[in-house]
Amino acid sequence: MGARRGARGESRLIRYLILGSWALFCLAPVLWFLSIGLRPRVEIISPQPIYVPHLSLEAWHMIWEDWPMARYLRNSVLAIFGSVLIDLVLAIPAAYSLSRYRYRGRDDIGFYILSTRMMAPAIVAVPIFFLFRSAGLLDTIWALMIVYAAINLSLVTWIIRSYMLDIPKELEDAARTDGASDMRILVEIIIPAIIPGIITASVIAMIFAINEFLFTLLIASTPNAYTLSVALANFTGGSDGLIYNAIALVAFLAFVPVFLVVVAIQRHLSRGLTMGAVKG
Amino acid sequence: MPKAGTEEASDLDPSARGVAKAAPQQPARTRFRRRNRRLKRWFPYLLVAPAVIYLMLITLYPGVFAITQSFYKVKFGPWRPIGFANYARLLGDYQFLGALWNTFLIGSISLALQCVIALTLAFHTYRDPWIRGWRIVFLVPMLFMPSAVAFLYKLAFLDARVFSDILIRLGLIEHNLAIQSSTWLSRAVLILADVWQWTPFLFIIFVAALQGQDEEVEEAARLDGASWFQIFWNISLPMMRPVIVVALTLRAIDITTMFANVFIITKGGPAFGTETISYFIYRTGFRSFDFGYASAASVVMLILTVIVAQTVVKRAFVSARS
Repeated sequence: MGARRGARGESRLIRYLILGSWALFCLAPVLWFLSIGLRPRVEIISPQPIYVPHLSLEAWHMIWEDWPMARYLRNSVLAIFGSVLIDLVLAIPAAYSLSRYRYRGRDDIGFYILSTRMMAPAIVAVPIFFLFRSAGLLDTIWALMIVYAAINLSLVTWIIRSYMLDIPKELEDAARTDGASDMRILVEIIIPAIIPGIITASVIAMIFAINEFLFTLLIASTPNAYTLSVALANFTGGSDGLIYNAIALVAFLAFVPVFLVVVAIQRHLSRGLTMGAVKG
Repeated sequence: MPKAGTEEASDLDPSARGVAKAAPQQPARTRFRRRNRRLKRWFPYLLVAPAVIYLMLITLYPGVFAITQSFYKVKFGPWRPIGFANYARLLGDYQFLGALWNTFLIGSISLALQCVIALTLAFHTYRDPWIRGWRIVFLVPMLFMPSAVAFLYKLAFLDARVFSDILIRLGLIEHNLAIQSSTWLSRAVLILADVWQWTPFLFIIFVAALQGQDEEVEEAARLDGASWFQIFWNISLPMMRPVIVVALTLRAIDITTMFANVFIITKGGPAFGTETISYFIYRTGFRSFDFGYASAASVVMLILTVIVAQTVVKRAFVSARS
C-alpha cells in the first residue's frame, strides 16, 4: 500500500511538472509582451535584450495622440457587432429550419452552409476585392461587416442548430395544439430556450471577427476602415521601423474584453468551437 | 416535390381539418387554405433561404468570378483571354509548387504537435481539482489577435532576439541565431507561433470530451490494475475518436489558410521557403497585380478544398453527431 501511494505521489509530481511547464510556456511570452507595452521605445530593441525595463506610459499616450485609436476602436466595434447582428438575423431562422423540419435537400443545404467555413479567405480574396470595388464599398466598415458576417454565418448557424436540437419536441407540440403558428413558436418558445446557444455563437463569431486579417487588409486601405487587427501592422514610424510598445499595448486592450467574455461562457466553449459537434 | 412542411402534418391539426371540411361552402376560405398549405410546404425553405443566398453571393459569385478570371491575363489594362495558359504556368511554377509543399509541411508538423500536446494536457487535467484554473491559463494565448501574436514572435525571435539571448545565457549556443536566413528556423518560428496560439483550441475540446467519459468504467479499469496509459489508449481514445476528427479537421482548415503570421513574421522568406498558398495568392494578386494568375491559383485551391470538404469533413461531422 505504501509503495503504491509513493508511486502515485511521484506520478502526481510528474503531472504537475508537465502542466506547470506548459502554463509557463503559455504565460511567459504574454508577460514579456506586456512589459514591452509598458516600456519606452528605446528599451525595446537593444544590442542586449532588457528584461527589467523602466515603466513608461509612452505607448499609451502615443496610441491616443499620434494615431486615430478612437476611430480604430469604433471601426472594430461597429464592424464586429454589425456582423454578429447580421449573422443572428440570418442564422436563427436557418437553424430553426434545419433542426425542426424534415424536407428534401435539408441535409445538403446544411452541409453547404457548413462547407463555407472551409473556404480559405485567400480563394475569394481577389473576387471579393473586385466586387467591393465595383460596388464602391472599398475602405468602408460596411464591407467589413458584410465579410465578417459571411465568414461566421456557417458557425453561428451550426451552433444555434445544435442547441435547437436539444429542445424537447413536446414543448413545441403542446404549443402547436394550442394553435400557435410556427413563427410564434420560434419567437416565444425556441428562442428563449436557446439563449445560451445564441450567446455562445455570438462570442465565437466575435472572436473570429476581431481576428480577421486578410480581408481587412485588402478592404481597408486607409485608416478610414482600419480595425484593431490591421491597425497593428501600421504602427510604424517610417525609418524607425515598427513601434512595438504601441502594438503590444493595443494587443492587450483587445485581449482584456475577449478574455472576460470567454471566461463567462467557459462551459459552452468546446461546443461553440466545434460548431456544435461536441457537447460540453 | 418537397415533402410536407412540418413533421406534424398539418391535417393532424384539428382546427385545420375543420377549415378543410367547411371548404365547399366557403370558396374564399378554400383559396386562403390552399395558399396557406403551399406556404406551409415552402416555409422551411423560406427560413433557410436568406442565409443560403447570402453565402452564395459571397462564395459562389466569387467562385464563378475566379474561374472566369483565371482564363484571362489581367495585369493592368483590359482583360485578355489566354485560355489555359495561367494553369499551364502554375504547373511549372516552382514558387506555386513550393507554396503547396510549405503549406503542407508547416501545417502537418504544427497539427501533429498540437494534437499530441493537447491530448497530453487534456488527459492530465480532466479529473484535476483545479481544472477550471488550468483551462483559463491554457486558454490565454488563443485569445490574442493572431496579428498581435505574429508581432510578439517577430519581436522575440527576429527583432529583439530574446530567444537567441536566452539560449546564449543558458550556454546552449554561442552566437545569435541567424533565423531570417535559415529556411528551417523560419519555418520553426511559424510552427511555434501556431502551436503556442492554437493548442488551447484542441485542449478545450478534448477536455470537454474526456469529462463526458463514464467515470465508473474508468474506475473499474483502474481497479483491474490498468495503467493510466492503458486507460487512455483503450478507453478514452476510442471514445474520443469522432471528437478528435472534428477538432483536427477544423484546425487543419485554419492552418492551411495561415496568412497573418507569414505576412508579418517572414514575408514568405527566405527565398520563398515559408511562403504558404494563401500568401502566394496574396503576393501574385496584390503585390504583382497579376490577378488572372492569382485567380488560377485560387481555383486550384478551391478544387482541393471541395474535395476535402466532400470527403473528410462531411464524414467527420456526420459521425460526430451520431
